[in-house]
Amino acid sequence: MIAKWLSTAALIALAAFVAPSAQAQGQTPNTAVSGTITLVAYAGIFQDNYVATVVEPFQRHFPNVRVNYFPGGTSAQMLGTARAQRNDPQTDVIIMDASVSMIGNGEGLFERLTPADVPSLNELFPEARAAGGEFGPAVTFDHLVLVYDTQRVQPPLTTLRQLWDPSLRGQLGVSAPPNIQGLALTVMVAKMEGADYRQTIDPAIRRLRELAPSVQTFDPSPDGYTLILNGAIRVATGWNARAQLIHDQSQGRLGVLLPPEGSVYQINTINVTRGGRNRAAALAFTNYALGQEAQKAFTERMFYGPTNARAQISPAALARTAASPENQARMIPVDWSWMATVRDQWNNRWRREVIAAGSR
Amino acid sequence: MSLLRRPGMLWLALPATAVLLFTYVAPMFGLARMSFNRTLPGGAMQPDWTLATYAEMAADSFNLELTLNSIQLSFTATTFALLLAYPVSLFLFRTESRFRSLLAIIAIGPLLVNGVVRVFGWIAVLGDRGLVNSALLALGLVSEPVRLIYNWTGVTIGLTESLLPYMVLALLAGFGRLDREVEAAAMSLGARPWRVFVRVTLPLSLPAIVLGWLICFILAMSAFVTPKLLGGGRVFVLATQVFEEAVDTVNWPLAAALSVYMLVLLLLFLGAYGALTRRVER
Amino acid sequence: MSHVRLDALSKVYGSNAPAVDDLTLTVERGEFLALLGPSGCGKTTTLRMIAGLVPPTGGTITVGGADVTSLPPYRRNMGLVFQNYALFPHMSVADNIAFGLEMRNLPRSEQTSRIAEALAMVRLEGYEKRRPRELSGGQQQRVALARALVIRPDVLLLDECLSNLDAKLREQMRIEIREIQRRLGITAIFVTHDQVEALTMCDRVALMDRGRLAQVGTPEDVYERPANRFVANFVGRINVMRGEANGASLAVAGAPVAVANAPRTQGTVDVMVRPHRMTIRPEDVAAAAGENRVSGTIGRIVYIGDVIQVAVDTPAGPLVAERTTTGPDWHTLAVGQRVAVAWSAADTLVFPPEAR
Repeated sequence: MIAKWLSTAALIALAAFVAPSAQAQGQTPNTAVSGTITLVAYAGIFQDNYVATVVEPFQRHFPNVRVNYFPGGTSAQMLGTARAQRNDPQTDVIIMDASVSMIGNGEGLFERLTPADVPSLNELFPEARAAGGEFGPAVTFDHLVLVYDTQRVQPPLTTLRQLWDPSLRGQLGVSAPPNIQGLALTVMVAKMEGADYRQTIDPAIRRLRELAPSVQTFDPSPDGYTLILNGAIRVATGWNARAQLIHDQSQGRLGVLLPPEGSVYQINTINVTRGGRNRAAALAFTNYALGQEAQKAFTERMFYGPTNARAQISPAALARTAASPENQARMIPVDWSWMATVRDQWNNRWRREVIAAGSR
Repeated sequence: MSLLRRPGMLWLALPATAVLLFTYVAPMFGLARMSFNRTLPGGAMQPDWTLATYAEMAADSFNLELTLNSIQLSFTATTFALLLAYPVSLFLFRTESRFRSLLAIIAIGPLLVNGVVRVFGWIAVLGDRGLVNSALLALGLVSEPVRLIYNWTGVTIGLTESLLPYMVLALLAGFGRLDREVEAAAMSLGARPWRVFVRVTLPLSLPAIVLGWLICFILAMSAFVTPKLLGGGRVFVLATQVFEEAVDTVNWPLAAALSVYMLVLLLLFLGAYGALTRRVER
Repeated sequence: MSHVRLDALSKVYGSNAPAVDDLTLTVERGEFLALLGPSGCGKTTTLRMIAGLVPPTGGTITVGGADVTSLPPYRRNMGLVFQNYALFPHMSVADNIAFGLEMRNLPRSEQTSRIAEALAMVRLEGYEKRRPRELSGGQQQRVALARALVIRPDVLLLDECLSNLDAKLREQMRIEIREIQRRLGITAIFVTHDQVEALTMCDRVALMDRGRLAQVGTPEDVYERPANRFVANFVGRINVMRGEANGASLAVAGAPVAVANAPRTQGTVDVMVRPHRMTIRPEDVAAAAGENRVSGTIGRIVYIGDVIQVAVDTPAGPLVAERTTTGPDWHTLAVGQRVAVAWSAADTLVFPPEAR
């Protein structure tokens, strides 16, 4: 018991010593940190790109650390895993939606992080730091976009307001709350109507009611992008990063619009599991993931906005994220922990006022 | 019954009991336990022994709406499934065709297809550019597509179809008392085919109808994939709400409380069924 | 005048051999006719065609002069009693009996009195409210009979309706059914594979063999004067010997045999004699005039109660003689004893051998 405690303490001390040296990325491999850690994050396209641009380079810098990437499903499922393993965690680092990691933070499932442990914290945008409070910060920024069929929407979509165009009747896929796309859309429509969503969403709900008859589905499945490429619908709400990739894959069939009326960030945070088996390696990985090299590589590959302010992103890639100065100006700040307190209420208003306004 | 009274025979039930205990009873207790935990304002869950979640559930009138929606949808889909499956089952029960087993397999074949795949099949058939709408448009019967999915109509159609194989199986299992000779007797006594059906066939298949209806009603009440995928976010029932609370909102105590509520609801239906069959048997 | 008339009636299922083949048969008004034969002979199919439950593939059925061949069962007014009774399990005894009356839209009061009458006829007063499964087999049988008769059918059709009862009850129901049939004077057709039932209950017996009519006649006709080897063999027990016919003379095992009606065939024939028409005599006593006899050794003696069967091994093959146990002298017989088996010329039946 004492021996285990001692070795843990030694590792912590070691980590404190090692971490700053991890700063010197791209130079001599760090062999002081070793062992295996389990990283839990999204499956599919995210996993493929994250392994290639972050996990593998990290393992080259830290040749004695093995990172097992475990696709954890939805953020809620990842939280479930963390909850179930509270007393004997089998995971070390979890990347999940900020609105869910907040719950985990509240339940003491994740570690508080300081620049002493994770020096990259000092390089983050203030809002990236704020997204996790004292806990794991934002590791990716994404934002709500409108995606549309460039072959069947003429002229191309340029504003949020165009959704109300009668020619799109029955052609929309809108993810309603509690899906956070629906929450984000509410914020955007409120802004479009000149209202402050923190005061009232009445104007937004009023406008969304008018939109309801145009909506074919309030729960696009598997997702809006697929339904558009199928020809089932013409416009949907979506997330920028995935939309950008599908835009490229579909040779431009899928159009992506960050509406001039504004958009809202979706934030993924990176979280260190409390009581994980290899804290040193977990902190080293978190530090690397937040560092300039990883942030640059992942943004350029998948068009998630960087959270590291010093990352040198290529202008071409940057323009397709929300991080370009022009796009940044359009972003509407949302405090997701505040959102958690009004979500049920918004949810009910959507159901009773917006969705009910369409045909049963 | 008498088998179980022999002491040695009780052991035969042991493996099944053990499996049920681990796969069903234990998780049920876990679920019930979860429903007594507390949800803090930020969404964090705190171990507790509180009825706060149940109080919250009872206070939300939307849950009553969900209950009525669930019952109405299940009632409609189960009844449609019964009306469609009854003639098919009766035919299968009676046919002396050598293709009988093949026909039976075709009737229950959809069970072999994953539920999600089946739903996407329906989307292909009922969608705006699906089979039905293409036909209607081509025939000039409508000028724009009829909305057959992403609403209650679509969910009712999809759910009815998903219940059909279970209904056919339940009816075939319950037709034990049907006897061609008894129907022949009725006919020889002067009953026309329709009266034979009303006075003899139907009453004798009542146990099958009640059994099939109950099984399918329970399946419909707990059906989640079809309302979720075909409902287009417009169809709110208890099962989809449990999913939403568990996965989107991450309010597990509420999801658990809703599940317990559904379980109690279904137990009530089972009780009513028991009372009803005792009357039918008599 | 004939009441029910089957004319060249046939039923062929698919490409199989016909189940019923060119059957022509008449039943007189008030007559009780048995359709007798082994299973698969087509007797039940015939009954079902009369009831309208099986459509014939050929021929006509007339009842009281009217052609009913294409009428559905519910318009034939026939009372049908099934082998398994086919009572309505979900109805009380009274409702079972009332069913046919209801279908005929009889007024309530008349229904009630007719049901009471029918129940009295089958001696089931007081059972009105019982369910079929609360009744014994015999009681269910009576309900089925009452249900069939209460509609006052033109013809009563009974399908193996006694075969599910135990021996004692079967005997009792035989008498009861015959009694009721006579009292009502109803035309009845009774399908059975049991020759005792057919002989004891019915006015006439129609024997069927592989879809065809083998013989129709009174019980005495078919027993005493079987038309062919099948009938002789099927109705009652019989000894079969191989014989050689030559014009008017007949020989069995080389010895001449006297026959009342000389066969008009040549060559090998079957010579058949019923066991109780054979007697056992001492070997050394001379044969009486016109008596046939053959010597042999007693191989087996079976005591049945009212009769004993004595099996004798003879040059003509094993023969069984049957005699009553009325006198004490049967005790003198013993296995291994040499005896003669004797029978009269009048009891000798001669048929061409079974086609093989």
